[in-house]
Amino acid sequence: MIQTIAFYLFASIVIASGVLTIMARNPVHSVLWLILAFFNAAGLMVLVGAEFLAMLLVVVYVGAVAVLFLFVVMMLDIDFAEMRAGFMRNFPLGIAVAIVLLMEILFGLGALSAGPIALGTADGSAAPVLGQTNIENLGALLYTEYAFLFQIAGMILLVAMVGAIVLTHREQKAVRGHQNIGKQISRRPDEAVVMKQPTSGEGVEL
Amino acid sequence: MIGIEHYLVVSAILFVLGVLGIFLNRKNIIVILMAIELILLGVNLNLVAFSAFLNDLTGQIFAMFVLTVAAAEAAIGLAILVIYFRARGTIAVDDVDRLKG
Amino acid sequence: MDIARSMGLMMPELIIGGASLLLLLVVAYGGKGSARAVFIGAATALGAALFFVVPTVTAGVAGAGADAFGTQFSADAFAAFAKVLIYLAGIACLAVAPSFLSRFFALRGEYAILVLLAVMGMGLMVSATDLVALYMGLELNSLAAYVLASFLRDDQRSAEAGLKYFILGALASGILLYGMSLIYGFTGTTSFDGIAAAISGDMSTGALFGVIFMLVGLAFKISAVPFHMWTPDVYEGAPTPVTTFFATAPKVAAIALLARVSLDAFGDQVFAWRQVVIFAALASIVVGALGAIGQNNLKRLLAYSSINNVGFIMIGLAAATVQGLSAMMVYLAIYVVMSLGSFVAVLMLRNGHGEQLETFDDIAGLSTTRPLMAWCLLILMFSLAGIPPLFGFYGKFVVFQAAVQADLVLLAAIGIAASVIGAFYYIKFVKVMFFDEPADRATGEADSVSWVILIGSAILVSPLAYILTNWLTNQADTAAASLFLG
Repeated sequence: MIQTIAFYLFASIVIASGVLTIMARNPVHSVLWLILAFFNAAGLMVLVGAEFLAMLLVVVYVGAVAVLFLFVVMMLDIDFAEMRAGFMRNFPLGIAVAIVLLMEILFGLGALSAGPIALGTADGSAAPVLGQTNIENLGALLYTEYAFLFQIAGMILLVAMVGAIVLTHREQKAVRGHQNIGKQISRRPDEAVVMKQPTSGEGVEL
Repeated sequence: MIGIEHYLVVSAILFVLGVLGIFLNRKNIIVILMAIELILLGVNLNLVAFSAFLNDLTGQIFAMFVLTVAAAEAAIGLAILVIYFRARGTIAVDDVDRLKG
Repeated sequence: MDIARSMGLMMPELIIGGASLLLLLVVAYGGKGSARAVFIGAATALGAALFFVVPTVTAGVAGAGADAFGTQFSADAFAAFAKVLIYLAGIACLAVAPSFLSRFFALRGEYAILVLLAVMGMGLMVSATDLVALYMGLELNSLAAYVLASFLRDDQRSAEAGLKYFILGALASGILLYGMSLIYGFTGTTSFDGIAAAISGDMSTGALFGVIFMLVGLAFKISAVPFHMWTPDVYEGAPTPVTTFFATAPKVAAIALLARVSLDAFGDQVFAWRQVVIFAALASIVVGALGAIGQNNLKRLLAYSSINNVGFIMIGLAAATVQGLSAMMVYLAIYVVMSLGSFVAVLMLRNGHGEQLETFDDIAGLSTTRPLMAWCLLILMFSLAGIPPLFGFYGKFVVFQAAVQADLVLLAAIGIAASVIGAFYYIKFVKVMFFDEPADRATGEADSVSWVILIGSAILVSPLAYILTNWLTNQADTAAASLFLG
């Protein structure tokens, strides 16, 4: 009973904050709603017994990703008043399409029909060992079977690091901007200077 | 325990919200990046729920990798957004129109 | 699981990954002066990896002996064939980049490292036989590609291309991932063999939705219609060496990945995806042909041309037979050479001040000012159009042949008709070069590496290449057979 109540509490908050994330007019509010969505999704994960992932979700998303978003929102110094002027277009059409898509997915998965959903059956090779905690079970699998992919995950994070640095890091000297000598030399007098002979008493044409 | 279909409904709603957020948003690109995070959250919830109901940990491992990649993706996305803002001085979606055929 | 054996099978990836880490240290400590050395080092690493994959193709490795890390990867001949194309394209793209980047004051070693890491991701993509492995490879490739697209960070068009590529690419990854999660849930496994076994009888609608979502996500990645909108913008905005890279290596990887997923994991459910693939193939051919008309920018034109070519390649996939797959691989090999040559030619068009030229007005009358380049482009364009004596025709021929053998006569007929429409803009390209008033703009000198690649690819698609037909077909047959055996 308490599980059911907790599920509906977490589920309704996660959906509501998801809606507010994409609807909020101020990006800072969007980020905060996103954080709330992550916290409640973590709650849902705890309910099915995936404690470690729930913890990761809070640590990685709320601790790192969401803060990164906040940092960028504030760094960019956006004029929020101007942003508010242009609200969503095609709003009713979009909502209608979204509802149709959602219904199609749900019917397709059989989530709306009565009776249990026919899931596949796992071969049991990655079944959790009883008596061990979730984190022990995950570790046993991650560092054996998925060791290579674990390394690849490291490479992906390296790409992110190299990429972010290569794009945003600037050396102090580069502030001046570059001089394009070719362009400078190729400029001809006839495209830069206009000769005018204004007659007196008629003003000048600009 | 709550049935799997409840979890599938929640994650499907999150997925559709994310897609909706990308297509409807006309104001600012940073919200589009957040909508992408919502899509990935929906996927993660799906994977974890399936993992629990299949009694198979592969789904949770997969979700961990998705989480890692999502963090990397957010970092690169925001870096590109920053250089775009530096070059153009705006992040409104309607202004992303230099390339047209 | 035997770690040492698995490591041995993944040797090409280990070399590339190791080299990228080593070269990153060189960049960090060597500074800007080391950039050229890093480019050379990266190309050497790809060459070394090539040395390891070529024997795999010729030996036709297949089956359980090629499985690495449980059933996560398969270093079979099919993967090796794709890797040969990817590595060669990677080396060519590394070779043409430095002279371009240095003119934009952006010659940095990180470019070569990102290319290496992207190539490593592509290698994982084509080898992956597990959904988790597939996703990791795909993302390693995509994330590096987003950065490369926006590498000229002060250029507005480059930044915009990176942004568009990122948003649509991330959306595609999300859709693909949602499909994967459904397939995992409704089959209970992530390995391709397990999925094939689980859906061999009748497939639940949940799994069918998973297949459709996955196909949509992959269609984005190979820029098949109706998910092609990003291609012209990204190809136009990204720096030209990066566009050259995008049009070749990642395309091979994504198409090989699509083929492996469809034929290996969903091989027993051909009816579930064939209609989708046929629709995407025809739509890509038609949209690619019609969209190119009226484009003035050469990079946009070539982007539509690549959409058009992806359509022809997907005809081979729709056949879902060994012949179809082999035809796809042959077409891919020829396509890589053609698009490498044409993009390198665009890269070589610059005016006397070293600025890049990329519109039709700039190449008017190129045959009088730059006869050699004009003739190379003529060969490449006629080959892309599939006009008979040239080698591009052979690619289209084998694909249509496979479609006819698989009883898809109507598909082949529509494809042939559409390729005639497509020929129009290639001929316009040639007409502008040979018969228009010379604009005399493309006067800048190009570096010798670009000349070598341009002339080399023109020779490879010229009628001379027909002596390679037997050899190429044999290799493609071995590669295709290994996927069906495994």
